[in-house]
Amino acid sequence: MNLFGLYVPGGTWLHRLGVGWKYLFLLALTVPVLLLALPWPSLAALVVSGLLLASTRVGARLAFALPWALWVLLAVLAGYQLAIERPDLAVVVSANLVTAIYASRLLTLTTPGPVLIDALVAALRPFRRLGVNPERVGLAIAIMVRSVPMLLDTVAQVRQAARARGRDRNLFALVTPVVVRAVGQAQATGAALAARGLGES
Amino acid sequence: MIRLDGAGVTVSLPASGQARTRVLLHPTTLELAERRIAVIGANGSGKSTLLRLLNGLVLPSVGQVRVHGLDTARQGREVRKLVGFVFTDPLAQLVLATPADDVELSLRPLVRDRSERRAQALQLLAGRGLAHVADQSVYDLSGGERQLVALTSVLAARPRIVVADEPTTLLDLRNRDQVRDALAALEQQVVLATHDLDLAAEADRVLVVDGGRILADGKPAEAIGAYLRLVRG
Repeated sequence: MNLFGLYVPGGTWLHRLGVGWKYLFLLALTVPVLLLALPWPSLAALVVSGLLLASTRVGARLAFALPWALWVLLAVLAGYQLAIERPDLAVVVSANLVTAIYASRLLTLTTPGPVLIDALVAALRPFRRLGVNPERVGLAIAIMVRSVPMLLDTVAQVRQAARARGRDRNLFALVTPVVVRAVGQAQATGAALAARGLGES
Repeated sequence: MIRLDGAGVTVSLPASGQARTRVLLHPTTLELAERRIAVIGANGSGKSTLLRLLNGLVLPSVGQVRVHGLDTARQGREVRKLVGFVFTDPLAQLVLATPADDVELSLRPLVRDRSERRAQALQLLAGRGLAHVADQSVYDLSGGERQLVALTSVLAARPRIVVADEPTTLLDLRNRDQVRDALAALEQQVVLATHDLDLAAEADRVLVVDGGRILADGKPAEAIGAYLRLVRG
């Protein structure tokens, strides 16, 4: 499962909407609730992002399913807030996190990757004077999004390997190979980019 | 035309800590002009180092590598426009999430208009029988499909030379044949490293690499024969 979702071709109003508006939706759904930190606005943003996602008609699983690791994270975060007697924050933190993922999916499920890069490159063009290379930043963000499922895949492989050797309870045996493989994958991606002449100044 | 010249191209890793200087490729002088060239040799023999020299992913410690007259050390960017590189593991090579996105990425420097770029990417994928997977995650593709997408992405940049580092190693027989047919049909000069001796036998010229040295260089029958004698005694 891809946490942020992959582009699904379609003809809904969100597919046709300009990518700039979708970035604005993303900001409007996620930033105010972070600043307010109140349960009702957070729940409202979650419901709105859910309704918008439903309107993309990409299928319930692609739109709403969350990986099990995220459920564990939500349980830990909410449990901590409840333990310190802040049930309001348990709602706020959990709802905001899921809203951020759903709002990101609004963008990624309805917009091809290269269009996202184009929009970022256009938005960053004014910062060229400050030494920012818009093409490079756009490419870096696209690769970052692509790397999330790659890392999850690596974690799953390492867990299986550790379990096969009866060492799945040893945190060191899990973390070390994940880090080593992640660095190896980053180097391979760098070589692939260089081989294609991408990201070179 | 690719030339490894000067006093002989050498690649070495400098001494570090207790490790001594390690020579990955001993002084080598070569001129690669044939349309299909295969490089064979054991794991760790220096095949990948030799191939990576050809598009500047590895730079010579001594000597010069020239591709159509361009120096890989000083004109690396221009060289990489001429030389497309196909890696063993296509997942390492596909940098975007779907085949269409990845091919489109290769087209970015060539086609400015976004919808035209998308249309060309889809057309290129359709040309390789990959239209049905254009918008799928690269993780959901078979090994052969991934390698064909990687090849399509490389070819989208319109290189004059294709270098492929063991492109069929991770594939089953059917997928291997698909990739093999795709490589055979290319108009470009192809230099590939392989453990598949049948694939090497189809080349115009075969180089055998052992311990960072070119052990044999010639027609497939004689070079493969030399390799088999080396391995089996």
